[in-house]
Amino acid sequence: MAPLVQVEQLEKRFGEVRALDRVSFDVQAGEWIAIMGPSGSGKTTLINILGGLDHPSAGRVVVDGLEIGNLGERELTRYRADKIGFVFQQFHLIPYLTAVENVMLAQYFHSITDEKEAAEALCRVGLGDRLSHVPAELSGGEQQRVAIARALINQPKVILADEPTGNLDEANEAIVLKLLQELNDSGHTILVVTHSHAIGNLADRRIELEHGRLARISAPAGAPSLAKE
Amino acid sequence: MASRSMFLRILWKLLGASRGRLTVALIALTSGAAVCSALLNVNLDADRKLTQEFRTLGANVVIAPTASGGSEAALADAAILDRIAALRVPQIVATAPYLYVAANSGSQPVILAGTWFDQVAKMNSWWKVEGGWVSSRDDHEHCLVGFTAARQLGLAPGSSVQVRSGDHNISLTVAGIVTTGGAEDNQILTNLDIAQTLAGLPGRVSLVQMSVSGPPPEIERVTRTLADNLPGLDVRPVRQIAAAEGTILGRIRGLNFWTIALILVLSMFGVLASMAALAMERRRDVGLMKALGGTVPRIMRLFLAEAGTLGALGGLLGFLVGVALARWIGERIFGVVISARLEVLPITIALTVGVALAGAFPLRLLGRVRPAEILRGE
Repeated sequence: MAPLVQVEQLEKRFGEVRALDRVSFDVQAGEWIAIMGPSGSGKTTLINILGGLDHPSAGRVVVDGLEIGNLGERELTRYRADKIGFVFQQFHLIPYLTAVENVMLAQYFHSITDEKEAAEALCRVGLGDRLSHVPAELSGGEQQRVAIARALINQPKVILADEPTGNLDEANEAIVLKLLQELNDSGHTILVVTHSHAIGNLADRRIELEHGRLARISAPAGAPSLAKE
Repeated sequence: MASRSMFLRILWKLLGASRGRLTVALIALTSGAAVCSALLNVNLDADRKLTQEFRTLGANVVIAPTASGGSEAALADAAILDRIAALRVPQIVATAPYLYVAANSGSQPVILAGTWFDQVAKMNSWWKVEGGWVSSRDDHEHCLVGFTAARQLGLAPGSSVQVRSGDHNISLTVAGIVTTGGAEDNQILTNLDIAQTLAGLPGRVSLVQMSVSGPPPEIERVTRTLADNLPGLDVRPVRQIAAAEGTILGRIRGLNFWTIALILVLSMFGVLASMAALAMERRRDVGLMKALGGTVPRIMRLFLAEAGTLGALGGLLGFLVGVALARWIGERIFGVVISARLEVLPITIALTVGVALAGAFPLRLLGRVRPAEILRGE
């Protein structure tokens, strides 16, 4: 079966700085991948390129058969709406919209809104009683769960999560991880940028970056596997 | 349908989210719209009010016999005045026939002018009268005497004056001494019947003075209509007056136009300042919307709809305030009530929406936001 995500010799330069240097890997549909590495190793840059938020300087990125390096702004916008669900460290909810409206916003930009479906997505993440609360009335964990419901609502091919538990306490981290685990169990492909070894250990594979280069790809048990050359 | 409902839902939330900044923008828009609405109301009404005012400043159309008419060129009053009345031209404010008779008072030669005082009063409000006015066309006993003539003849209000023309004599009581600054200062003014009797020219007039309201092109139109319907007579607008009126109206219109333009530009700067601050606050929201798959036109539609709504609201409020302001201006400056003109409402709203959209320029720049930079907190 063709991989859902193919990254080949990916480079990203910011002036003289190489944020990503000839990175290559594949991700199969339904995999949970942890992208790890120290600060400045290129994790967020990688996830931004995979999410169509940034353009590669060189190399090839194919997601669900679509080579995103060749896409213009309009196509990239459509790509993000159709194929990607984002979860950010800072939650990034619209502060003046309620929880259900924040989820509906993703529907609005994707196709048509369905409040019932958005409410069901929030129920699924345990926020059935918080539908009409604005973000300021929600805890950090609850906000992140709204963000997860928003990421799921359009049935994306890939969920990209950038430090999704970075701003959460242990209890909320556990809730969010359980949700991600459930999503993965139900067949969703998840790529998570994280510093947390606990999350790394939950993943099917860990992609580790150092100074923009792919250092290793490893299984959670620790048995190293080779990076794609 | 669901998308439109979501669009309106987000729009409503956007309006509520930045109440402070939007209120400042709304105040700027409402103030601008109020002044525009007031000036537009005044402008639309000013023509009517001013031309009415002008009509108290003397005749602006004169009907006289043609030069080829000879000495028997006095006009048949009943025929011409009735024909003018039958035309039912609404712009005609007053019609005053005049018959001039060369007469003597004692040994002094004097011009006696017969006219209709009720019509003369309508078109010559600035005449200063010491004593009383001859109020009725049936008053065959009283006259007004011009200031210069009164001095020469030694007359004062209440004096008696004998006037003779040919074989006809008439005795009149001076009701008042009139100062006009014109030829009337040298004349004795009586009712038309008296002059006709004295001259032995019943049913005749020398000329007809008319006061016609409206801007110069309208006066020209009325003049043409009168000329077409009064063959053999010379119908002439008094061009100096028409031109002066046109110039004044033009200047008032110009002043209003440039004032409105200036106010709109100032309002736009007010909106621009609020929107620039708002744009900074909205960068993160726009970055997120783009990350979620929102296209620039779709996101911008939200913000422009927000600005447009603000403009429409400002225009509506401004119109209402402007109507009150126009009434105040009308009463203070023109001494009349300026009525609200509904056609000003859509113009005010359209102008204010335009200003709001122009002022929302900083929001349009949000289309350039790069989501990756915003979402990583740059």
